[in-house]
Amino acid sequence: MMKFEIKDTVKISIMAALSFLIMLIEFPLPFMPPFLKLDFSEIPALLIAFSMGPLGAVMVELIKNLLHLLKTTSAGIGELANFIVGAFLVVPVGLVYKWNKTKKGAYIALAVGIVSMTVFSSIFNYLVLLPLYAKVLGFPTDAVVAISGEMNSMIVDIKTLIAFGIAPFNFIKAIIISLIVAVIYKRLSPILHR
Amino acid sequence: MMKNFTIGQYYPVKSPIHSLDPRTKITCVFIFIIALFLAYDYYSYANTIIFSLIMIVLSRVPLKTILKALKPIIIFVLITALIHAFLTPGTEVWRWGVLKVTKEGLNQAVFTACRLILLIGVSSLLTLTTTPISLTDGMESILGPFKRIGLPAHELAMMMTIALRFIPTLLEETDKIMKAQVSRGADFISGNLIKKSKALVPLLVPLFISAFKRAEELALAMEARGYHGGEGRTRMRVLRMKSADWISLGLVSAFLVYMGFYRWFM
Repeated sequence: MMKFEIKDTVKISIMAALSFLIMLIEFPLPFMPPFLKLDFSEIPALLIAFSMGPLGAVMVELIKNLLHLLKTTSAGIGELANFIVGAFLVVPVGLVYKWNKTKKGAYIALAVGIVSMTVFSSIFNYLVLLPLYAKVLGFPTDAVVAISGEMNSMIVDIKTLIAFGIAPFNFIKAIIISLIVAVIYKRLSPILHR
Repeated sequence: MMKNFTIGQYYPVKSPIHSLDPRTKITCVFIFIIALFLAYDYYSYANTIIFSLIMIVLSRVPLKTILKALKPIIIFVLITALIHAFLTPGTEVWRWGVLKVTKEGLNQAVFTACRLILLIGVSSLLTLTTTPISLTDGMESILGPFKRIGLPAHELAMMMTIALRFIPTLLEETDKIMKAQVSRGADFISGNLIKKSKALVPLLVPLFISAFKRAEELALAMEARGYHGGEGRTRMRVLRMKSADWISLGLVSAFLVYMGFYRWFM
């Protein structure tokens, strides 16, 4: 089913290594719950999504998180979350761009990716991630809400946590990453397609 | 920037745990975690603590090193324990204004803290006693049977290996480019979020160009040497299960059965 050419295998690996390094530089956003940290580690995966397609981009996200698993502090849940949320961004971008490979297509792809990441990661957080944190790590969702409420008084329950914490966080993160990619992709595309 | 940076946290000594097959260690950690989730009272948690301590002693990794691995989660554990202590309903033992601590809450706090510390501690023990490369080999072998349903086990392990090999190189490269751009007046530290993101562009463009060049060179070198994927490839380190591996698997499984038995039949 999945067969990569050597060239693609190596590209994916090195982009994953780079994205692992970028992932180590993270900083919190103002007015956001402290466990949501901003990092730019989706940039290499997005470049691969444009140059190789959605499958390669998912592999970059997967390897990045497998590497991060070696220094996990959440028994792997944080890595699972990062992988799935990252996939919500890079897969639609790869698919849309595959279908329309123009400059306009690239912008549409990024817009779709931003919307997809915001919407699906909110649903995923509500249905899977927060319950999983509560079950496996014994960290009740009420406590997550309470800590987040310290930073942002609009957060009072799990629905407002998602509406005013998680959704805007992912929205801002996706926009910043997309902007950076839009700026650097043009300069990189000659070497990407060689 | 990040001096003395290590991926994983391998602690190099000779010990019975270090010399086990990586597949054994991965499987044992999984079994132990399941057993850990079966613990529900002081007696069963004491059992899991003793079992982990035996593993730690056998591994010859100093307790200090393991505690260092636990440092990033200590605050998380404390907050979780406090929440359980204050928010669990039950018989009251201590009250201060609106805050009250219950007997059930205290128990719950101790249990949750134990579970979290053991969960992270034992998985750290895995990365402390196994090099990232042999963990990758072990993962490839464990995922082997899933090749039939299309999981690219070999490609995945190959990508992990290449990535692991290139992390130090790319780190050095990043450092070099950062210094070069700082010497031209770039500023990566000050400013708000937008300024910081903008500052990343002159770092990222040369970094990606050099990374892609390296990828091309490596792909060419691999092709020239006849690399053709998983089928029929020989390897330098062949994984072999020894009797110590089967004994360890047997012991951990016995522990799981014992914990299950204690939970449901005693």
